[in-house]
Amino acid sequence: MATTAAATPARVASPRFSGRLDIWPTVAAFVFLIGGWELLGRALQQEFFPPLSKVLTKLVEVQAEIFAALAISLQNLVIAFAFSLVFGIGLGLLMGAFRKVDAALDVYVNALLTAPSLVFAPVFFAIWGLERWSVIAVIVMYCVWIMVVNTVTAVRTVSIELLEMGESFGAPRLKIWTRIVLPSATPLIMAGVRLAMGRAVKGMLNGEMFIAIVGLGKLVQDGSRAFDASLVLAVLVVIIVIAFICVWLVQLIDNRLTRWLPKTSR
Amino acid sequence: MIEIKGLSKAFPGRRGSEPVQALKDVDLEVRDNEFLTVLGPSGCGKTTLLRVIAGLVGHDTGTVLVEGKPVTGPGPERAMVFQSFALMPWDNVLTNVAFGLEMQGVDKKTREMKALELIEMVGLGGFEKRLPGELSGGMQQRVGLARALAVSPKVLLMDEPFGALDEQTRRLLQEELLRIWEATRTTVVFITHSMEEAVLLGDRVVLMRPRPGRIDQILEVPMARPRSTHLDSVESSGEFTALVGLLWNNLRVMHSDVRRTHPATQAEARP
Repeated sequence: MATTAAATPARVASPRFSGRLDIWPTVAAFVFLIGGWELLGRALQQEFFPPLSKVLTKLVEVQAEIFAALAISLQNLVIAFAFSLVFGIGLGLLMGAFRKVDAALDVYVNALLTAPSLVFAPVFFAIWGLERWSVIAVIVMYCVWIMVVNTVTAVRTVSIELLEMGESFGAPRLKIWTRIVLPSATPLIMAGVRLAMGRAVKGMLNGEMFIAIVGLGKLVQDGSRAFDASLVLAVLVVIIVIAFICVWLVQLIDNRLTRWLPKTSR
Repeated sequence: MIEIKGLSKAFPGRRGSEPVQALKDVDLEVRDNEFLTVLGPSGCGKTTLLRVIAGLVGHDTGTVLVEGKPVTGPGPERAMVFQSFALMPWDNVLTNVAFGLEMQGVDKKTREMKALELIEMVGLGGFEKRLPGELSGGMQQRVGLARALAVSPKVLLMDEPFGALDEQTRRLLQEELLRIWEATRTTVVFITHSMEEAVLLGDRVVLMRPRPGRIDQILEVPMARPRSTHLDSVESSGEFTALVGLLWNNLRVMHSDVRRTHPATQAEARP
């Protein structure tokens, strides 16, 4: 499945893999990127592409506004992601456990996974109007399906030998699930959660920009209406930092849960 | 201990092809405290036979009795050792060994004490906190053996347990298994495709033949016990060589049978 294929290499490429020296390419790329932005911005002298220093100055200028917006946005993100975790993994487990549930829902889950999530925005808008629930629903649409799909695959690929081992030692069905299926499915489920985190941040901003004009999305809208590229890019910097922290948090939890994996497959 | 009468088992063929007769009219009795080895070419149904005894697959006709009771599924009096080890990579050695007892609802303290005892017995003392991924193949299979022994089974079912190990490790584990078995005398059904292993370990060797899977003959292994103390002289004895030779002659015929009756295999055999 395409999703799985996308999820696995991330594990291999993670910086944990081969020790200290690997930090230098990261640092070099970072410096190059930052420096390039600054120099290019200065050289171009264009209103739509300000240098990094100007963006950071703007960021400090409007920090109160940004932090207030950030608080709203993060609340939406947390609520939506928590719901998606429970619903996405729950539905995935059900589909993985029962062939009939899978047969009934598989097509729709895959359709929703590929459909552009913003298409559903008008529906949510019609239901909840300019409320935060519209944004939350959009975030859920962005991130929940990848978790479902990954969880189904995770459950399906549990080693038959281990299942048979459990059965041969008389493990009841529930124990088979708690002691064998869930632990073996965890790495792939967590890969789905990691992908979902990135999608959720995207969904958050898109939702805020297109439906309920609130949070960071509102700032981006304000910035672009006033042709204030510095403001737009300042928000972008904040979002990138937020995305980094979110993905790092998921990675942290992932590493704790799957410590038993051999180091080379991280 | 185990009585099998008229056992047949067919698996449905793939995509409308003929069902595969894995076992046909198998009669076999495994005696109390016997080490029975089952040998045969691939496709002879030896693993299916073991899985039927384990209760992991059902059978079509015939009866399978373990201690006089018909087998309807896995039971606590039988424990299995797997070719692929089948250890849980997220649990340490101690938890893996205690798994069978955990499934039987034994409390944590009791089962860990029992597990530690078995870990010591298979020579893994000090490794109880390690994860399976940190152990060599031989050590992993010791864990598999300890896990099976931990539930104090009446019958130990071993499905080519050393098949995935290298020659030297395999030899060490054969010694180890004999040593443990000679001390405990649990009834063992041991599947293998190695003639030497079958003779070295077994009290009797069941030779099976394929298409359909059935018992060809059962041979008594005359070498005295205990053997673990002097494996080298067992292996160099005339009895050992004669038995292995006899088994190979029978097996060779089965392989050439296959070549004669199956054109596909014949084509494959030609360079």
